[in-house]
Amino acid sequence: MGTKEEARGTLSSTDFGVAASAFILSWNTICSSFPPWTWVLSHHQVEGYLSLENILLSSTQEEHGELSCPGPGKHSHQEDPIDVDDATLVHTNPCKVHYCDLHIIYCNSYRVPVLYFRAYDSDGEPLGFDEIEKDLPAYSKKALSDSKWTFITQEEHPYLNRPWYKLHPCGTSEWMKLLFHADDALAKTGVTIELYLVAWLSVVGHVVGLRIPLEMMKQL
Amino acid sequence: MASESIVVFAQFQSAVDEGFWHRLSSLKLNKLGIDDSPIPITGFYAPCSHPQVSNHLTLLAESFPSESNEQSSTAATSGGNRNRCPVPGILYNTNTIESFHALDKKSLLKAEAKKIWDDIHTGKAVEDSAVLSRFLLISFADLKKWTFHYWFAFPALVLDPPATLVDLRRASQYFSLEEAKSVSAACNEWRNSSLTADVPFFLVCIDPNSLATVKHIKDWETCQSDGNKLLFGFYDPCHLPNNPGWPLRNFLALISVRWNLKSVRFLCYRENRGFADLGLSLVGEALITVPQGRAAKTGNGLGWRGHQCLPNAVGWEQNKGRQVSRCISLAKSMDPTRLAISAADLNLKLMRWRALPSLNLNALSSMNCLLLGAGTLGCQVARMLMAWGVRKITLVDNGRVSMSNPLRQSLYTLDDCLNGGEYKATAAVKSLGRIFPAVDAEGVVMAIPMPGHPVPSQEEDNVLEDCRRLHDLVDSHDAVFLLTDTRESRWLPTLLCANTNKITITAALGFDSFLVMRHGAGPFSSNDERQRLGCYFCSDVVAPIDSTANRTLDQQCTVTRPGLAPIASALAVELLVGILHHPQGIFADGELANSSNSGSSEQPLGVLPHQIRGSLSQFSQMTLVGHSSNSCTACSSTVVSEYRERGMEFIIQAINHPTYLEDLTGLTELMKSASSFKLDWDNDDDADDDDCIEI
Repeated sequence: MGTKEEARGTLSSTDFGVAASAFILSWNTICSSFPPWTWVLSHHQVEGYLSLENILLSSTQEEHGELSCPGPGKHSHQEDPIDVDDATLVHTNPCKVHYCDLHIIYCNSYRVPVLYFRAYDSDGEPLGFDEIEKDLPAYSKKALSDSKWTFITQEEHPYLNRPWYKLHPCGTSEWMKLLFHADDALAKTGVTIELYLVAWLSVVGHVVGLRIPLEMMKQL
Repeated sequence: MASESIVVFAQFQSAVDEGFWHRLSSLKLNKLGIDDSPIPITGFYAPCSHPQVSNHLTLLAESFPSESNEQSSTAATSGGNRNRCPVPGILYNTNTIESFHALDKKSLLKAEAKKIWDDIHTGKAVEDSAVLSRFLLISFADLKKWTFHYWFAFPALVLDPPATLVDLRRASQYFSLEEAKSVSAACNEWRNSSLTADVPFFLVCIDPNSLATVKHIKDWETCQSDGNKLLFGFYDPCHLPNNPGWPLRNFLALISVRWNLKSVRFLCYRENRGFADLGLSLVGEALITVPQGRAAKTGNGLGWRGHQCLPNAVGWEQNKGRQVSRCISLAKSMDPTRLAISAADLNLKLMRWRALPSLNLNALSSMNCLLLGAGTLGCQVARMLMAWGVRKITLVDNGRVSMSNPLRQSLYTLDDCLNGGEYKATAAVKSLGRIFPAVDAEGVVMAIPMPGHPVPSQEEDNVLEDCRRLHDLVDSHDAVFLLTDTRESRWLPTLLCANTNKITITAALGFDSFLVMRHGAGPFSSNDERQRLGCYFCSDVVAPIDSTANRTLDQQCTVTRPGLAPIASALAVELLVGILHHPQGIFADGELANSSNSGSSEQPLGVLPHQIRGSLSQFSQMTLVGHSSNSCTACSSTVVSEYRERGMEFIIQAINHPTYLEDLTGLTELMKSASSFKLDWDNDDDADDDDCIEI
């Protein structure tokens, strides 16, 4: 990573690839008990992004509420007389489970990684941001409301062409600059590319309730 | 509890990723059309990995067969991996909700169950055990509302009589410590090898030295030695401590048919954080009884195990304990209108976040704007308003789109000119809707009554009707733009706005010059003694402060330099936004650009002028302030009170007798001076009567 980029807190797209490989390696080694990050190639097979999916956000007991999305003719269709045998367990207390997916995608115009996320319930129904916020730990909620760097927007995912939430990248280079310059030794050792994502995620993950394990942080 | 109760299995649970529905929608729209033949799909599941939450059978965008010519946004998964064991399935997607509900669920389930039964008998299930968990999905994709109705079935062959449970406990309680260690290691190895990670059914063979090996089920023969413990293992998605997962049902059927075992020891394999968890996993023993008597006489003495004897099947997924289909709405992420709305909002929110924290987006989106004129100015003003987040726009124009219009009037295209031309008001509304579907636009085809154009008596009722309509329109909107092309047509709207104290913005064009101004408050709008700012007509009577103003407009001028209309329209809208954000709104004083007036530099949007006059020949622009005139023919208290008193009668009079207004306003002046003159006269008792002159 050129010193110019370093000084600006940004990184080139090739460096992003390098950083991502280093990140996956260290995460999957150090945090082997956590689900692994994977590298997904886009359909061009040239660009890629980091992915961590099906993270359990919350799980609560649900009452027998109204079935969602009645649609037309909800009451006109009686329960179908489908065979159920005695060997089938009847779900009496279904759980309401929320999951979330995280993608780290490189942004060409800001030259920084961007965190994209979405959340959904066990039926696959997408959750709105206000519902996601309820599942976040208290420190995340605080970070979201206090920090002037955190602006959540809903935009089209660059590869999946569906709306995902993302942490707007316009402030990223600013605080990455601060992060790196705070540690002169770090800047001098020249391994900043490899550690870029760990450093970046330690700040960004805070916002979405993703705690970076201590062992990872020790590298910084 | 009886020692021999039946095995109660926990059903598979489905989870459909949004991407699956997106893919189905695009398949339907682009390729399948009304073709509703069944589509082979692939589901994915993995062993339970959480002590409180079961794993699901998941469908993703990749569940559809990959198309070489179709845009695939993520890399196709090659078969599966340890987190994605592929399972074959079939999708029946109907074209209507009625046909969805009318599908014969019993026979569809039976057909899939038969496939499993056949695979068991032909041996395919031993080679490729994932087929034991074959599933069925019926759906109806409503591509107008972006809702998806669906129902999964996980066909399970019903053992009759059902298998009974002899024992079920945690695997850690069943195995000895040594065995447990070895079993864990062997399972982890199986799970870590790319060759076997996605094979969901296997054998666990433990030799007398507690050494465990995991094998493919087709290697069953090799495990048949004395002293060996044999367990039939499978990836169990279920987390419950007292119930094995659904895949065991068909596994038991397979075991009974292929190897005729009566007692089966099984391992419900579950994990935690990527490793075998024998505390979560279960080991149990089930007894399979073959019915005696009648059944034994059928199928070559094999009884129910004979190939031709297809057992009953169950497996339609329950929805919160009920036997009904599920439904999911993806309108928020698929409906283009909603996506356009959130993108538009995003833009404005970014502006507020990055540059203008005091931007009042709610005021903009709830404001109702009336545009009088849908020509060069009207079209541009409408577009600029939408860009600022204004959603409610009414356009008034009685003209039709003519061939020369599309070039300068940015909402129209050639199509609007054909067949005599669409009404402008109508065409403009349609065009706005094409740009931004969530706009709430209305078109009114109506002429604006004008003084100096006398009305024949047979037309009078129509004109009165138009006047009333205009009065109501002004009344029901928050801001009015005067964008017509004649001076006279601005009179009545100005009066009506002054009467109701509405924000009024005028834009007028000369050949190469323009005027954009905001009218002052109405004459009865406040008790404030301060002078109101002037309206468009005040300027005629009272000279502006800057006497070197360019020669202005007001001549009926339809030939203008094309650049003028966009510039003037843009300024007109920016002026409105400025008024909205000014604490005094319509009562705000007029400010001059580049002034040292401290008040202006504090407003986040900058100065709020009264008038802007610009010249393209000079590429210059200046701001001016003019105050209201007491003799103004449109906004003076005289005129407004006459309107309030006499209403339409007054309007008609003003329209039919153009000098009437001057008389009205001039006469007041005259009367004033006359009465003061008379006063002098009365007080003078001078004897110089011979010198007095008759007036």
